[in-house]
Amino acid sequence: MNRNAATTAGRLATQALLIALAAIVLMPLVWLIAATTKGKNDQFHYTFFAPTLSGQNYVDLFHKTDVFQHNLLNSIFLASTTVIVQLFFSSLAGFALAKYNFKGKGPLTVLMLATLMIPGQLTMAPLFELLHWLGLVDSYLGLIIPGAVSVFGIFLFRQSILTIPDELLQAARIDGCSEFQIYRDIIMPVSRPMIGAFCLISFMGTWNSFLWPQIILHNRRLFTLPIALSQMIGVYNQEYGMLMAGTLISVLPVVILFLVLQKEFVAGLTAGAVKG
Amino acid sequence: MRFFTYGKAALSFLVLALLSGGWIGWNAVSDSDRRMPPGTKKLTFWVFAKVHYEAYRKALPSFEAAHPGVKVDMQLVSNDGLAARLQNAFLADLDVPDMVEVEISSSGTFFRGPLKDVGFADLTDRIHNTGLWDKMVHARFAPYTNRGRIFGLPHDVHPVQLAYRRDLVEAAGVDVSKIQTWDDFIRVGRKLTKPNERYMIEFSDSSTDNLETCLFQRGGGYFDPQGNCILDNETAVQTLCWYVPLVAGPHKIGNSLGGGQVLTKAVEDGYVLFLIAPDWRSKSFEVDIPLEAGKMALMPLPAVFPGGPRTSTWGGTMLGITKRCKDPDLAWQLAMHLYLDKPQLAERFRQTNILPAMRDAWAQPAFHEPNRYYSNEPLGDTYARLAPDVPFQYSSPYIQTAKAKLSTALVSCVQEYNAHPDRDLEPFARAALKANAADVRKLISRNPY
Amino acid sequence: MPSPMAGRPLQSAQAKIAIMNKPAPEKSNWFSVQHKIAPYLFIAPFLFIFLVFGCYPIVQSLRLSLYATNGPKSHVFVGLSNYRFLIGDSDFRTAVWNTLVYTFWSVFLQLPLALGLAMLLSQKWIKARGLLRMAFFSPNLMGQAFVAVLFGILYVPQYGLVNRALHPLLPKLVPLDTKWLQDANLVMPAIVLASLWMYVGFNMIYFLAALQAVDQELYEAARVDGANAWHQFLAVTVPGIKPVAVFVLVTATIGSFQLYELPYLMLNNTAGPKNAGLTIVMYLYQNGFVTGDLGLASAIGWSLALGVLVISLFQLRVTGAYKGEAA
Repeated sequence: MNRNAATTAGRLATQALLIALAAIVLMPLVWLIAATTKGKNDQFHYTFFAPTLSGQNYVDLFHKTDVFQHNLLNSIFLASTTVIVQLFFSSLAGFALAKYNFKGKGPLTVLMLATLMIPGQLTMAPLFELLHWLGLVDSYLGLIIPGAVSVFGIFLFRQSILTIPDELLQAARIDGCSEFQIYRDIIMPVSRPMIGAFCLISFMGTWNSFLWPQIILHNRRLFTLPIALSQMIGVYNQEYGMLMAGTLISVLPVVILFLVLQKEFVAGLTAGAVKG
Repeated sequence: MRFFTYGKAALSFLVLALLSGGWIGWNAVSDSDRRMPPGTKKLTFWVFAKVHYEAYRKALPSFEAAHPGVKVDMQLVSNDGLAARLQNAFLADLDVPDMVEVEISSSGTFFRGPLKDVGFADLTDRIHNTGLWDKMVHARFAPYTNRGRIFGLPHDVHPVQLAYRRDLVEAAGVDVSKIQTWDDFIRVGRKLTKPNERYMIEFSDSSTDNLETCLFQRGGGYFDPQGNCILDNETAVQTLCWYVPLVAGPHKIGNSLGGGQVLTKAVEDGYVLFLIAPDWRSKSFEVDIPLEAGKMALMPLPAVFPGGPRTSTWGGTMLGITKRCKDPDLAWQLAMHLYLDKPQLAERFRQTNILPAMRDAWAQPAFHEPNRYYSNEPLGDTYARLAPDVPFQYSSPYIQTAKAKLSTALVSCVQEYNAHPDRDLEPFARAALKANAADVRKLISRNPY
Repeated sequence: MPSPMAGRPLQSAQAKIAIMNKPAPEKSNWFSVQHKIAPYLFIAPFLFIFLVFGCYPIVQSLRLSLYATNGPKSHVFVGLSNYRFLIGDSDFRTAVWNTLVYTFWSVFLQLPLALGLAMLLSQKWIKARGLLRMAFFSPNLMGQAFVAVLFGILYVPQYGLVNRALHPLLPKLVPLDTKWLQDANLVMPAIVLASLWMYVGFNMIYFLAALQAVDQELYEAARVDGANAWHQFLAVTVPGIKPVAVFVLVTATIGSFQLYELPYLMLNNTAGPKNAGLTIVMYLYQNGFVTGDLGLASAIGWSLALGVLVISLFQLRVTGAYKGEAA
């Protein structure tokens, strides 16, 4: 009897602890939402919500900065385009690595693994020079083309495609399918969950990326959301509400996507780790 | 068929990409249609100060009216980003504006490479030929001069006063006319300061802005006219030893919480009584802290020694024309329009409180008007009176490093003083300044240009 | 009549016969050719971009690090002087130290917390597990840049949320005007705290998946053998989650070494008081893209890469070797 009571008490305590921790973790987010509704002079007068909610910050965001809507569109465009491009390249390459043995496969895999370990910042300076010579600086091509390669994505697809039984492919070949048809009609439909996960991971990565776009993009109209927001801090330090409104809008798309693709995302993320 | 292969998720991304790409393309096309009727000349002009931006916006229509077919595209850029973006633009030859206002603390960085690679046009001859050299305060050309060539027009003089909550100070029984020197000020400060509730003056213990102002007032600085680093000279050591106990330790009278909305609330709460107020900042207070209108006042900086200069300088802006500008004469005309037209300058003063570098302008009536926010003092006069005493500042490509190093020295000394308030700070301060100045010199010697 | 291969979007029986009736050599030629060259074709687009934009810059950066530049236009050969300068440069040393300190806390504070949370959350009787998991993970969705902007305001002294929340709980330790981002001693804790908020949930997800993969019967067996909770942890949990834990460890380390956006934006595009927030990548960015010396930036990049490589190999060796012994 005692043991049961102790266990229940322990369980209650654990549950309470978890809920308290979750509340603490969510507090900054609640503050963020509240901050977007507070007027200019109320920002620090109330800790969270003020008695009256105001949407003025959102209005100001689009009027005062007069490029925010462009920044939003830019981010959407860049992120979705990168997702498509990366998806195509990575799934193809992952398929090749998983289901074929070709000359140079071993060394190539080692090379790719090595680059995963090397921090990307190493190549920033020469890549900038290279893009400068190619005339791709200050354009989205300069972001999309180097970003078309995602070694991490290739390995993700490789992992998941490895689990597809070879018999399926053999049968398809007997039926006269070309390799590309196999890719298109068998591998990809079966890999839908991994595709979902990859889309979200890739989208999040591009949406939130700051350093490389900051180096490449110069024209204010081309800025993506993170850069735009960072530039606004110095200018509009009197208008925290507006800044927070911008932050909230920037965060919302990823949150929505995550809610939709939650399961696939977690599965995809951990597939890389758990299986190898 | 194919995209269904990838699934709904991928398909929606593709649709999104196409839609947003289409919208962007459409916008870009319609914008260029709207903005560029054939033969339009465009001048791109970057400014970083919101106050300047607002004021220039009112001045641009008259310029465009006088020059039909010319459109000025003025952009407000964050100052933190401006230096980096401009530097990048110069180095990569991309999206370089025609004209740009650059802040004094970053102007030197554009002088790093070979002289021919400096992104700004050499204005020396124009300035001398048009007689501008004599009309403007000489001290203000120095920060924008490198290897004998002048690369920017000074926008301002920026004498410094103290702004203070007159109502609170009077209520405490203090007569500011009796405060003549810093010693007087510190004495009063010690009486008025209540830790965590009220501090005498807004002095930062990590950023160099305020320390710099004090250093300049005493005749010190970052570099000498030849570009040598003078951060560890005797003046600097003495200033640092004087400054640190004011912002650290048991008897501190200065505290700074930050800028923006934080400062607004601090002043409204009476958390700080005195603020360092160069002319540009006096306007920021009017705009950002409107609740205190009529309750604020200005007084000159306390002197270092009785009879000494009662001002210093903080900040500065130059107007540069870049080498990429296709029509430098047109740009020069815009510069003259903005910087020289006397009624313009008077009007701009009303909007920005900024004393222009052109001396003749100060006689205009606008400069004698009483300012309601500052208890009806004639703001222009009070700053103009101090203008002759504004100290010189010299530039260097390493100005930003020097500032960072001074800040490092300051923070080290603050840490040391907080830990050992009873020890003599001077040897430590001397060593800290020496080490940091040595770092700057090492960088200078590394420059192959 | 439905074909026996109705599930597959392929040929009908008729077409199959038609194919089989075709002269064999013709069909098998193209077919076997395309079978052989297919992988090369698939890899080709990726390979091209990988080599041009991935591998070439790595090699080029080694070369570039031997030069001093003023932007992409002017190069001056300086040999190893960039590296010599870095060794003696106090700012670089500060950057390395800060990065190491951050990595240390990232690994030894964040990961155990993530594991602990995962262990708590993986128990079957917890209510609202999905919601709780979402709550802990949500900060990660924001991305470093936005988290930095948010925390820059939360850390404001006197009026910010962090001080307002912590001061009532720990009045002596956290005075109301604590200057998280202006006090050289507090900048790193501030950064670590913000990063903790962002990444604990993320790593928790990995550990959750790993814990779920552990065979529950092993716990039963251990309990039967008389092992208490701690022994169960050591004997069953740790070996069970080993592969994932190593993965998380290595990626967290590599990620920590690359810290840049969080401190840079929180400190308002600066490195903080006395460079307390300066990280290696920030120093790289400042030298390469603010000052314009791409050569020095490349030298910094190589120092970073070497450091990461050494530490990652060390980690793999230590954990791998241990694993070899245990097995």
